[in-house]
Amino acid sequence: MAQYGMIIDLEKCIGCHACAVACKAEWDVPTNEGRNWVKRLGPSQTPEGLASTYYPGLCNHCDSPTCVEACPADPVQMEFTDRLSGKTTIMEVAATWKDLFDGTVQIDKERCLGCGACAEACPYGARYVNPDLGEDGKADKCSFCVERTAIGLEPACVQTCLAGARIFGDLHDPHSKVAEYVKKGAIKLESDAVKIGPNVRYYGKKRDLSLLTSTCTPQSMPQASLRRIFLARMLKPLAKEAKRNPLLHLLG
Amino acid sequence: MNIKLTRRKFLHSASVAAASVPLARLARAENGLVKKPVTAPGSYAGTETRYGGVCEMCFWRCQLVGKVRNGRLIKLEGNPKSIENGKSICARGNAGIQLLYDPDRLKYPLKNVGERGAPKWKRISWEEALDETASRLKEIQKKYGPHAVALFPHGASAFYPLQYFEFTGTPNISEASFYQCRGVRDMAYMSTFGFAPGENVDMANAKAILLVGTHLGENVHVSHLKQYLKGLENGAKLIVLDPRFSAAASKAHIWVAIKPGTDTAFLQAVMKRLIDTGKYDKEFVAKSCLGFEELKESLAEATPEWAAKTCDVPKEQILQVADLLGANLPNVSIHPGRHTTWYGNDFQRLRAQACLTAILGAYGVPGGLIQPKGVKLGKASWGHGVFAEDCDLSTFWPFHPPGTPTEAIRETTLTGKPYPIKAWIAWGQNPIQTLPNQPETIAALKKVDFVMVTDIMPMDITMYADILLPGKSYLERYDYVKTGMQWNPADKPQQFVTARMPLVEPMFERRDSVWIVNELAKRMGYGDKIPVASIEEHVEIRLEPAGLSIAKLKEMEGIFIKEGTSPYAEAGQRAFEFSTDSEKVELYSEQIDDNEFSPVPTYIPTGEVPAGYARLVYGRSPVHSFSRTQNNTWLHHEMPENPVWLNDSVAAKQGLKDGDRVMLINQDGVKSRNSTILKVTPGIRADTVYLAHGYGAMNPELTVGKGQGIDDQGLITKFGIDPETGATGMRTNFVKVVKA
Repeated sequence: MAQYGMIIDLEKCIGCHACAVACKAEWDVPTNEGRNWVKRLGPSQTPEGLASTYYPGLCNHCDSPTCVEACPADPVQMEFTDRLSGKTTIMEVAATWKDLFDGTVQIDKERCLGCGACAEACPYGARYVNPDLGEDGKADKCSFCVERTAIGLEPACVQTCLAGARIFGDLHDPHSKVAEYVKKGAIKLESDAVKIGPNVRYYGKKRDLSLLTSTCTPQSMPQASLRRIFLARMLKPLAKEAKRNPLLHLLG
Repeated sequence: MNIKLTRRKFLHSASVAAASVPLARLARAENGLVKKPVTAPGSYAGTETRYGGVCEMCFWRCQLVGKVRNGRLIKLEGNPKSIENGKSICARGNAGIQLLYDPDRLKYPLKNVGERGAPKWKRISWEEALDETASRLKEIQKKYGPHAVALFPHGASAFYPLQYFEFTGTPNISEASFYQCRGVRDMAYMSTFGFAPGENVDMANAKAILLVGTHLGENVHVSHLKQYLKGLENGAKLIVLDPRFSAAASKAHIWVAIKPGTDTAFLQAVMKRLIDTGKYDKEFVAKSCLGFEELKESLAEATPEWAAKTCDVPKEQILQVADLLGANLPNVSIHPGRHTTWYGNDFQRLRAQACLTAILGAYGVPGGLIQPKGVKLGKASWGHGVFAEDCDLSTFWPFHPPGTPTEAIRETTLTGKPYPIKAWIAWGQNPIQTLPNQPETIAALKKVDFVMVTDIMPMDITMYADILLPGKSYLERYDYVKTGMQWNPADKPQQFVTARMPLVEPMFERRDSVWIVNELAKRMGYGDKIPVASIEEHVEIRLEPAGLSIAKLKEMEGIFIKEGTSPYAEAGQRAFEFSTDSEKVELYSEQIDDNEFSPVPTYIPTGEVPAGYARLVYGRSPVHSFSRTQNNTWLHHEMPENPVWLNDSVAAKQGLKDGDRVMLINQDGVKSRNSTILKVTPGIRADTVYLAHGYGAMNPELTVGKGQGIDDQGLITKFGIDPETGATGMRTNFVKVVKA
């Protein structure tokens, strides 16, 4: 099983924002939203000295994605195929899920209700509802450009990065560049309250990582999301029942 | 009603988030009139790739490909064949499609039937626009002489118009890229090395890099930053002189928080230390330089103690910088800088940079100053202009870059002395935001008989036009032919040629500059002198000596690549011939001496900061090219305002907090037109305030950019004029930060 991930090398990043704009063009993202973003941090004092760096953020494709849990759409059976071995597995998923084989978190826009529950549930603010998609909006976020990587292209943000500061690959492959960065000490933006296994990691000077983690690590899970997850869990058995008994649709 | 909708409604009522879904969209969903796609298709699928684009979101000119779907350009990418920028382009390059399809763009020729500065636009035909422009210009030429027409050009689209107006006999042409930017650098290096350095310093293969105020990272040019980052990756030691902890300073090994305006003193002390300790390239100096003894003598007083006091930096830091450079000679990059018109004493500072480069022997070696070679191109242009006697206003500044110093043109326009200037033409330049002292620029624009502007977008300058002409953008036209070499000089030597070719058809009545100029020329009586019939012909002539044509380039995916020559001299070669009078690097320059300026680099102090004020220092934003890109909706989103940087201890004393809305007031009591956000940081000197240049446009036709952030140029009422070059120094103003 692969786990795709991304390393942001802050030693290289020069904060030019090309990644954020390339993504906008690639995925037709509304101007005021972003599947990814760059925030300039500092200059501020850190325990390691004066620091100034960037927070290039995107969906973390987490190990335990709370967005997936929050999705209230009817679960359906979906077949997943391993790109490498061709092996397939069937899994029951709502309109967003974590891929069994590549570890990415994806959205089925056909079935997405556009309710925004997933966006509310993400402690990193990585999702938004794109009002231009479908009749009344669809959840949208970074897909790690799996659509592009499937045909041998790089993710749009990686392709345009002049600094080579964005490295995409399989964290589970010990020989991959991303795994090497993990060995070198690339960090996750995690706190005691938010430990859901992000798969975007940051590498850089100590003082820069200090500034990044102290200003950009989410310190709490979104309150609304807990309520939504609770509601979604309540609704899921009902949805399964509805599928078994078509008559129940009429009651809806 | 199916269960899906019911559940959605249930969730809406159950959560605050529901309030964020606009009602209009809900209504649309209910009546279900429009069926919209649920997913964005991506640029990679079902698109046609068009080659031959050359970017002009800035003036580095990266090579592009366009992804086109149904005739619409949906994405720009770096041309993978490029040996310069490769597959990468910056944020501005990526945002080019938002310029192309900007609804605020100029579409038709317009005539101002209101006032200059408060225009009322009337759409007119090209015929009428050209007839009127030509007759007004002809009338002025006839009555006052051809030099009564002044031109402010910028960019590739203005090259042909520049040649034309020069040909008609006016020397009054002033490019912001020279007089408000890099002209002073080029002239200082010409006087020393005999060539303009560009930014051709081999950072990728340097062991140490010195940036004098250059803020790479905020100043973004793709191949240049690739070189810089390669150097850092290879272990180059980075030294940054900047009063601010800039993007570059944050990557530096040594950040010298230098007092603004004192860089020359610092450079002198570094040179003295290198000479005193014998850590200079003795062989290069002996074989290739002239005037070493004079230089050495001139540095007698430049002790570390003196410089430490002058520059307000620790003495140890000066020695550390000198020793680091000396230990790594000759493989050091002394970056020549780009925007270098700072204080009006800049020629001497840049001479100091050039001399430091020379004594380190940092020429023609890995890491040093290099002269890249491109492919020889053809010429197709208007002949040289013949100027009337005594009409050249530039002679007062013997080392002026091409054209005439802006201030000479503006002052002559205002005073009518020594002769009247009666027409201003801006072609791709926005003099309202390029020139210091806006009130004078505006007074001059109001005084002349005729103002014509050609641009892509409404800009602050276009508000002052009588006739306003809409240009094609770089994505819709042929024009620029670029040649150069691979981005990393240490790689296999290659050369390339590329030409800007349209990626999409132009819309509305936008025209290219060759067409516009030729139509004007026909009407002004120069029809028989027209050198090329079309912009395509111009490009063909340029390409011809390289054995190329537009058709051939198209077959080559936009770029022709051939074997090149190494920009490095042979190992061990320390004797070179330069294109100076003496054929040597002139550390001491007789030519400068003859013109009664200091023949060796000299520190000329700039004014001290008055109590209660801080010096206004401006710079680049990585997502903007000055004022040009302010209305680009994607770029605006990335950085909607330019934060004012203020030292944290100063802010505390004034009771100002990070995130406050603030305005600036300068020493003359001029208040910024807009407010912006305050950035409180320990990363700037207490005597300095910083903001990015280009924000705060005035033109209400810029529906995105107008009034966003503070226009630094509005506060630059005081300026210096470099006595050698006539360039305008603009870091000469002092401001107070006040709550908005």
